[in-house]
Amino acid sequence: MALSVEKLRQDFPILQKKLSGKPLIYFDNACMTLKPALVVAAMNEYYENFPACVGRSAHKLSKLATEKYVEAREKVAKFIGAKPSEVIFTRNTTEGINLIANCLDFKAGDIVLTTDKEHNSNLLPWQQLKEKGILHKICHSKADGTFDLENFKKNLDKNVKLVSMVHTSNIDGTTIPAESIIELAHKNGSLALLDAAQSVPHKKIDVKKLDVDFLAFSGHKMCGPTGMGILYGKFDLLKKLKPFMVGGDTVKSTTYETAEFLLPPEKFEAGLQNYAGAIGLGAAAEYLQKIGLENIEKHEIELNKFITEEISKIPGLRILGPQNPELRGGIISFTINSLDIHYVAQLLDNMANIAVRSGQHCVHSWFNAHKIPGSVRVSLYFYNTKEEARIFIDTLKKICELR
Amino acid sequence: MVVCIIALVVFAILGIFSARYRKLAKEAFDCTFKKLTFKPCDTGLDTRIKAGITTKLMRWPKAAKFMHKNFNTITSILFIVMIISMTWSGYEAGKGVYNYAKFGNCNGPDSSAFCIFNIANAEKPRMGALYCNATDCTCITPEINCTIKGGNYTPCSGATCSCPK
Repeated sequence: MALSVEKLRQDFPILQKKLSGKPLIYFDNACMTLKPALVVAAMNEYYENFPACVGRSAHKLSKLATEKYVEAREKVAKFIGAKPSEVIFTRNTTEGINLIANCLDFKAGDIVLTTDKEHNSNLLPWQQLKEKGILHKICHSKADGTFDLENFKKNLDKNVKLVSMVHTSNIDGTTIPAESIIELAHKNGSLALLDAAQSVPHKKIDVKKLDVDFLAFSGHKMCGPTGMGILYGKFDLLKKLKPFMVGGDTVKSTTYETAEFLLPPEKFEAGLQNYAGAIGLGAAAEYLQKIGLENIEKHEIELNKFITEEISKIPGLRILGPQNPELRGGIISFTINSLDIHYVAQLLDNMANIAVRSGQHCVHSWFNAHKIPGSVRVSLYFYNTKEEARIFIDTLKKICELR
Repeated sequence: MVVCIIALVVFAILGIFSARYRKLAKEAFDCTFKKLTFKPCDTGLDTRIKAGITTKLMRWPKAAKFMHKNFNTITSILFIVMIISMTWSGYEAGKGVYNYAKFGNCNGPDSSAFCIFNIANAEKPRMGALYCNATDCTCITPEINCTIKGGNYTPCSGATCSCPK
């Protein structure tokens, strides 16, 4: 079923507005997506109608808040094919990965294997573990930016405790063959963690099918609120993990010396939570599910094909990653000879209200290793149209004529 | 660097009148300071200024292209012109102060030309609000309802007064 983009756009109040007399063309979805009115309404509903503590008090408001919070967890669990008890509310992907880095029982000599295109949130936690004698190894991609499975096999030795990889790269949109990687990791006795910040909002993810041990993603990249994320973990694994942040609502009972912890996910959710955010994220997950993740993926690839075909004709323009748009999902990252990336991004914004991102996209390590100062990144979502893509192409061509 | 210095001067002046430009002036100052201390300026102010100017010229593609290609040269020329202009203004102002101190007139001896320093004592009729606060002010347009209160002239909006020396 094809997407009814124009109808869906009505759900986003900001897309009905004009900035400096022109409509907004939002192509910065890998950073943050726009929010539909129903997500904002779901959050407002909490603050307006039942702004109470969850699971603590016996009054009506608290019961209602608890009900909605539980419901939100169920919606998110359904969205990724998990059980609610396997879904931990976090602030974002970064917090989810840090939780694993701090809770997993690493020993000196253990290895964490990542790709060469990790966002800082899946690089720094492992760098920090170096002080404890835990090693970090990198599995380099092929020259075209795609995952090198043979290289991965070579790097996978018995000391690899965890394979922690970015599912879809935020630099070039390439997706790693997660199922094969996880299968190989498990055969080796390693655990697998996926940074799914750029994949969960754009394609159908079923954690059971993937057989992934841990999966982290953010709410703000999937029409949800900021400051809300999810860490999925297999229940048995989560049960074994020792929480690194403890406090209110993580325990059944305490004495002055001891504590009896609750089961996951509660034992990882210390202190009063972002209830409105969780409810908003639940609404966003449900909304995306109604649209259909397969439809979203298809729409993004179609737009990517159109843009790639047109901008590839511009002399001096280089698209990062594989040239085949089908391998890049909704991301087009590029550089242009003789034009500064930030200057291009600023001109796109000034000339046609086109919001793109320029820079190293929090993957400084990859850009520094490849001696590329950064790129202009166009990242699409289901509410972007062909007409917007056309305006972008025309504006970019005008900018390139400045050279 | 050159763009940041120009921006600093321009935004600092505009900042006197509008808070909007004060933030930009601070940013320009930070950028200039960093450049002067051999650190990279990472505020992106120069890029934004260049993009802002180029965007305005996009209606005339040739002009936009010229600006894009020669931005550094243009800003360097503007910078030199600004320095020359400031130096000249400083020299002229200094000369005026010296003349005023020595001869009582900023234009030098035997000159009856206008001098800003003795404007309060000028013989010409002036708009009331600024200069007419002497007790002997005479309103030449009494119908505008000028008042003299306690020996001091209280100006009314739009009143024109003559101020005899």
